[in-house]
Amino acid sequence: MRDSICIHVDGATLRVESHQTVTSALMRSGISAVRKSPSGESRGALCAMGSCHECRATVNGVRGVRTCLVNVEEGMTIEREQPVLRTSMGVSAVHETKSFETDVAVIGSGPAGLAAACAAAELGKTVTIIDESPGPGGRIWSHRGSPPVEARPWIERARIAGGQRLQGYSVIDGKPRELKVASVKDGTRHRVLCSSIVIATGARERFLPFPGWTLPGVVGAGALQSLIKGGLPVSGLRLVVAGTGPLLLAVAKLAVSEGATVVVVEQASFADRSALAIPLLLSPSRWRPARELWNSLRGVEMYTSSWVTSARGQQHVQEVSIRTPQGIKTLEVDGLAVGYGLIPESRVAAGLGCEIDEDGFVRVDEHQQTRVPGVLCAGESTGIAGSESALDEGLVAGIVSAGRNPRSRLLARVRRHRFWGQAIEKAHPLRDEVLQLAGAEDVVCRCEDVRAGEITGCVSRREARLIHRWGMGHCQGRVCEGSSMCAALEGSDSVRPPWTVAPPEARIETSR
Amino acid sequence: MAIPHFLVVGAGIVGAACVRELARAGNRVTVIDSGPGAGLQGGTAAGMGHVVVNEGDTDTLRLCLRGRELWRSDAPPMSERDSYWETGTLWIAEDEETLLQLEGAQKKLESVGVVAERIDGRQLIKLEPALAPDLAGGLRVPHDGVIYAPTAAREFLNASPKVTCHYGVSVKNIGDGIVELTDGRNFEGEAVIVATGISVLSILGEAGARLAEKVSLYPREGHLAITARGTRILDHHIVEAGYQKAAHSTSQAGSKAGSVACAILPRQTDQLCLGSSRRPGEPGPVDPNMMMRVIDRCERFVPSVKTLPILRTWTGARAATSDGKPLLGPVPGLQRTWIAAGFEGLGITQAPAAAELIRQRIMGESCTLDPWPWDPARPYKDSSALTKQENDHA
Repeated sequence: MRDSICIHVDGATLRVESHQTVTSALMRSGISAVRKSPSGESRGALCAMGSCHECRATVNGVRGVRTCLVNVEEGMTIEREQPVLRTSMGVSAVHETKSFETDVAVIGSGPAGLAAACAAAELGKTVTIIDESPGPGGRIWSHRGSPPVEARPWIERARIAGGQRLQGYSVIDGKPRELKVASVKDGTRHRVLCSSIVIATGARERFLPFPGWTLPGVVGAGALQSLIKGGLPVSGLRLVVAGTGPLLLAVAKLAVSEGATVVVVEQASFADRSALAIPLLLSPSRWRPARELWNSLRGVEMYTSSWVTSARGQQHVQEVSIRTPQGIKTLEVDGLAVGYGLIPESRVAAGLGCEIDEDGFVRVDEHQQTRVPGVLCAGESTGIAGSESALDEGLVAGIVSAGRNPRSRLLARVRRHRFWGQAIEKAHPLRDEVLQLAGAEDVVCRCEDVRAGEITGCVSRREARLIHRWGMGHCQGRVCEGSSMCAALEGSDSVRPPWTVAPPEARIETSR
Repeated sequence: MAIPHFLVVGAGIVGAACVRELARAGNRVTVIDSGPGAGLQGGTAAGMGHVVVNEGDTDTLRLCLRGRELWRSDAPPMSERDSYWETGTLWIAEDEETLLQLEGAQKKLESVGVVAERIDGRQLIKLEPALAPDLAGGLRVPHDGVIYAPTAAREFLNASPKVTCHYGVSVKNIGDGIVELTDGRNFEGEAVIVATGISVLSILGEAGARLAEKVSLYPREGHLAITARGTRILDHHIVEAGYQKAAHSTSQAGSKAGSVACAILPRQTDQLCLGSSRRPGEPGPVDPNMMMRVIDRCERFVPSVKTLPILRTWTGARAATSDGKPLLGPVPGLQRTWIAAGFEGLGITQAPAAAELIRQRIMGESCTLDPWPWDPARPYKDSSALTKQENDHA
């Protein structure tokens, strides 16, 4: 049921539909700029999944709430710029901290997390799922109202199997048998005491900086998908979906079905992508979805070996330039979605002491066990291979965390998925040109407004951080870590609490 | 005539300040540091960045005061974000007894020429409305401030002519005027200045081991947190008056748990740096309980601290000496190797003064400050010998 409710944005009342995120409600009302960067630029949602922190605002008096993770509620107040009060009066008490005891704590409720929770619970374990979003399903199964068909059986199975659900909570600190979580809405802290942990934090999009990428209205490819699924209408809009990987096609398909005019800009060459033909032939379960996808994209303008070189606009993206083999094309647009594949979200794993490989993936054995006893990891944070793989890995992790041995057929399936994931990766190698699009004046660290020119000649990550403040903002480097400039720096940064920046525990009660 | 050549080991704030002093006196300087660049390790990287004329004995106050003078008048060119910002320190007393101690502190500060004004409880709230309403009063030291030390260290080197830097190298041994690296390279100079903080005695070979029998140098871990931008609810550097008491309690038995005291430093990036804790030992991973104690203590003085989002937390260590004074001067038994370390949390404040003193002694100039309280040979000498040398010097 969708009701019409009232929210208050900077004092003005807006009538919006319920059951959508604040980000989505704001965008539907034509508000794409949510905050100001340190140098005063307007910024809005980029990732729409809680990684970039660009959409944060003060919600119901709570500072630093990621509006993409919170649903609108009747009477909600949203303030985009709120100066801090210099007072010691009216500080509300810190919320009561509760302890949840459970056998298995599952972090993330995407396919891997849901499967792990189902498997462990069906084997008699008590399970607690911790997830940042308002509802289950993770990024891939994000939805509004009823979940997508593929997700339904798992969500239903998890419901029947029972267990606690801490939906709308980030894991901010912890150790193998104890996690500290914080509400994304009001900062309330709780403890989760557990015997084992399954990390299923998935992946996030890789963003590569280019001139204009910080304009409101420029979002990730997966972000556009989530926003549309979350209720953002795109009918009649002109959209460019750019970057690399099969996700672009899925996003384009969705946008077209919702009535948008879409141009797809894929940086990989046709030759690179045709390398996928053989793995596809070997994977009959993927034939039908692939054909459907292809059919649905008839009539979509598509460029390969092409990429977005710049975006321009006043307060919102209006014009996009793309480099194609035929030369530079300039398109007038209403929105631009760019994503250069996925990178693992392994911060919680790193915080718990798990081994992380040089590409950022969590190292696990055949049973999805990390080298930290009692800590398992499943899904895209161990390797990008899609939702089918995540489900099977989740099952393995759930079974193992319940003290059982997974069957060899399941383990064999996991190995096959890995092969498919690697094939996709190989078919979309990033070309040098897209790694070097940012000019000296372009922002590379969005939180701190660090420009590419400032870090030219920088050798170590430590120097980039301490001297130039790269990665020292709210996202803690989640956005810029995927860029080539970051990869070229020596050394790594240790993960320390808070693993995710959470809203404060207390607030000042004004006379509202 | 060849230009004299000096070696500086350690490009933290103290080493970098020494480099500038020597280089602008016309010398050639070679810098050796194990990190990826200047100012990226140790206390320089982890410290809060406060420049304070602290409590303590008269000598310490003078060294701090000279350091502060030089930060104010002679800092290297830096962007507004990083350069010296005169926040002033506001020492806060929780109760009448502590307020009395502050009166004593004020007299001491005034005796060395430091401006310090007493503030009563009501004025305190007017000055800083975010402070708790029940505090007894405070002492305001207006010329104290904050500097961003990593950039300062880097700019000390950038502003200096005739400097060669070797980063990412490790020292095998340091002899008299000689530095041997593990990669086989050797450097020789008129003098070597070793400013590597906590490791200083251990990399000085035999001479270091001999000195270590007389003076020990040990790490004191501290925990710090920083809030998000847009949270600067204070104009002053706020420190609770019991800070020193809390600091020294760690040297007593049963101090493994460590002590905490409220110290909140506003940063020019519109953030607040929250500290601090003291616990013996090398900096380990962030201990959530210790961090919580620090923030709870800050909340006692600034109740709205818990309404501000915390962005990052970290640990670091101060290098403390057994007599609470830095080691500044030639290594006993060596003629051409000098030491500049052991500042215990005051390294950033004192760095320019310490570097000036080292240069003046090396170049045989008259010293701005009495150098003998800091001389590394102090444990070998009785007080009369020290006084004599001091008179000779004057």
